[in-house]
Amino acid sequence: MTIQQFSFVIIGLGLLSACKPKFDTPDPDNGNIDVSNYVALGSAITAGYANGGLYYEAQQNSYAAILAEQFKLVGGGEFKIPHVSPASIGVGSGNNAPSRLGDRTDCLGAVSLGPVKIASQGDILVFSNIVFNQGPFNNMSVPDMKITDANVNGLSNPFYQRMASSTSSSVLSDAVFKNPTFFSIMLGLDDALNFAIKGAASGSLTPVSGSAGIGFEASLIQVIDQLSSNGSKGVIANIPNIRNLAYFNTIAWNALKLDATSAANLTSFYSSLDGTTFHEGDNGFVIMDSKNPFLGFRQSVQGELILLNTPLDSIKCHKWGSLIPIPDRYSLTLSEIDSIEDAINAYNVILKNVANSRGLAFVDVNAFFEKVKIGFIYNGVNVNAAFVSGGFYSLDGLNLTPRGNALLANEFIKAINAHYNSTIPETNAMKYPAVIFP
Amino acid sequence: MNSSYKIFLWLSIQIPLITYGQGFQVNLQGQVQQGMGGAGTACMQDASSLFFNPGGASFVRGTSFNVGVTPTFARGAFMDDKTHEVSRTNSPVSTPFAAYGLFEMKDSARLKMGLAVYTPFGSTVQWEDNWTGRFALTRLELRAIFVQPTISYKITKLIGIGAGIVYATGKVNLQKDIPLTDANGNYGHAELSGKAQGFGFNVGIYFTPIEKISIGVTYRSKVKMAVNNGQANFTVPAGVSTNFPDGSFKSELPLPSVTSLGLGFKPTNKLDFTLDINYVGWKAYDTLSFDYMNNTTSLVDTKSARMYKNTFAFRGGVQYKPTGAFVARLGLAYGITPVQDGYVTPETPDANRVNYTAGIGYHIGKHLDIDASFLFTHLERTDTNKETNLSGTFKTNVCAPGISIGYKF
Repeated sequence: MTIQQFSFVIIGLGLLSACKPKFDTPDPDNGNIDVSNYVALGSAITAGYANGGLYYEAQQNSYAAILAEQFKLVGGGEFKIPHVSPASIGVGSGNNAPSRLGDRTDCLGAVSLGPVKIASQGDILVFSNIVFNQGPFNNMSVPDMKITDANVNGLSNPFYQRMASSTSSSVLSDAVFKNPTFFSIMLGLDDALNFAIKGAASGSLTPVSGSAGIGFEASLIQVIDQLSSNGSKGVIANIPNIRNLAYFNTIAWNALKLDATSAANLTSFYSSLDGTTFHEGDNGFVIMDSKNPFLGFRQSVQGELILLNTPLDSIKCHKWGSLIPIPDRYSLTLSEIDSIEDAINAYNVILKNVANSRGLAFVDVNAFFEKVKIGFIYNGVNVNAAFVSGGFYSLDGLNLTPRGNALLANEFIKAINAHYNSTIPETNAMKYPAVIFP
Repeated sequence: MNSSYKIFLWLSIQIPLITYGQGFQVNLQGQVQQGMGGAGTACMQDASSLFFNPGGASFVRGTSFNVGVTPTFARGAFMDDKTHEVSRTNSPVSTPFAAYGLFEMKDSARLKMGLAVYTPFGSTVQWEDNWTGRFALTRLELRAIFVQPTISYKITKLIGIGAGIVYATGKVNLQKDIPLTDANGNYGHAELSGKAQGFGFNVGIYFTPIEKISIGVTYRSKVKMAVNNGQANFTVPAGVSTNFPDGSFKSELPLPSVTSLGLGFKPTNKLDFTLDINYVGWKAYDTLSFDYMNNTTSLVDTKSARMYKNTFAFRGGVQYKPTGAFVARLGLAYGITPVQDGYVTPETPDANRVNYTAGIGYHIGKHLDIDASFLFTHLERTDTNKETNLSGTFKTNVCAPGISIGYKF
């Protein structure tokens, strides 16, 4: 019996060691592209700008950097980024500091979690700390860069000047100098956004037609022709509709909550003006609208947008949106939204057509941001466009969290794989954090 | 006037619970039966028939005791179909046991009383740190012990009936990560633990219409395991701790009914064939709910669709006694998964399965039996879960060697 039991144990142990499940993991394949020298061209999102500023950690988590990381599985090389010093807090477009989530005390003394600037001012030394000698760079993306800026020699954009190869170089010439084997282009958002985030009160939309440097289409074709002049292939993204961005849909147009008494008082006050009536509950904010010929203000209507940077204390304690109209720069009226959407739609048609005609892969970023707006679940986690909790948008409401960037990088990977017969694995986006909580 | 936008944290803590799918049906309740594919409804051999067919227990000779343990080694893995990342389980060995005492009454040889204590399910699934599905599940520990006092009565020489009351007691500990990150990169974590209780019954008929043939029919009822005062603990960044208050929760899990039909055939004294068909009432598990005592905008009560379907398992085995003392057994079982496409979860990466089993037994003198068994099964399932969108292939290998000692007089 002992021999039988012994043999049983031996057989058992043998089977136990065979117990580990095995997978035939498919080998990643680069298909018919060479990603050894990948150059990314874009603006803030592609540069890794997040939480209202450009800083080291955010740069490392741009979708372009994440894409480059996945490219390494199929022969991708080093991805040089014009880094801000890791010790720096970073800096935003308005010389502001980036934000983080923290406790804020409002004018009523109520404390709640919200975006808080890390410092009273951003680290403007970032702009004077010239890093071009660390280049040429693979991430040639420049915050606030319009498509029409791409080939402007000596572009007076401080985010470019710190990395420019010379005072007379352009972003495009520097990118071409890097001699990419593969490129990505996500340009055009700032051609509309620059106007939209200011409530259409200043700036302008880039026209579709016009020569390179003026018109959208010619500028795009110039960028692509020069980048692919060495025969390299690439991927082009279209741009999201502004309605999908958290910056434009966090504060509702009708978030003016009134009790019966306040509503009656306001109705009485406006009866001698334009006769606007208010009622208990949700009401449209009163906004400035220069198109209103008599008064220059009116009550907002459904579909209009109040921007994320609207000072909430002014609404809570200083009658903004009720007795005092919200200034034009903090809202978009229906006609303003129409003009912006028309421009974006026209840009997207061009981006798609050019991608097709040049045989480049095309990422429908607009459709993806729309999907985020609706919301979806990724590996057990909700992803949506809600400010802070949605996990996708960073605290500036325009740019993305590392998790959002990873999800966007996966959209690029899907488009590249489909177009170029490659099998580049997606990244697990949940390895990347969303908004950091205190 | 209040127009502030709120940081509204919608974060569902959808905690899945325990299920072993067909795994519950592995039948690690007796070494003899395990060696024969888990079939035992119509094959009365020792005191473990208290579990397999209370109606047949009265046909087991004399008074007998049986104690067995089946250390179960389960190794699972998951390959994400988009990233091709492979995650593995580090589950500890689980040790289902079974103990049976079957007593002949002095007054009536027809009547037997018995007590069965067994663990029809009980194991731990522990996924490696930071695995792909960490926000669905990181660890599930489950222990359930069934205590079943039983009466078995042999009505005639040909037919016996039996019934047992089941008292089930258990504990559950379920953990998952929460996708909120603090400044150090730590993710939140949820741990739900509690004790569960339930009642059920186990009845059976055993019938030998002609020599060499035996038939068994049993019904083991559903047991509703209710967690009435579970404890939910959350570790989250301090800034959102008020959104995730620790507190109690309620939940329940139905363990399904099993209706079995068994057939035994004994062509010679040296050979036994046995066959079982189980019909398992998994449809009872259509929803998994969690009711938290302290709800917040982030911590809401959840109802998750499980949508299990009723299912069958087929088991067959053969036993060969070349000598008076030595016994060899072989068996095979095929189980159809109750988990429908779109509902495969990391705690139940269930699939249709084939169980391969073998066993040996040895009689030491007239009183003592030693039996050993071995079970191997492989599960493989590719799915995209409708609730979590976790998409990929689960593979699990289970090896379960077991040993039992029986004493009869």
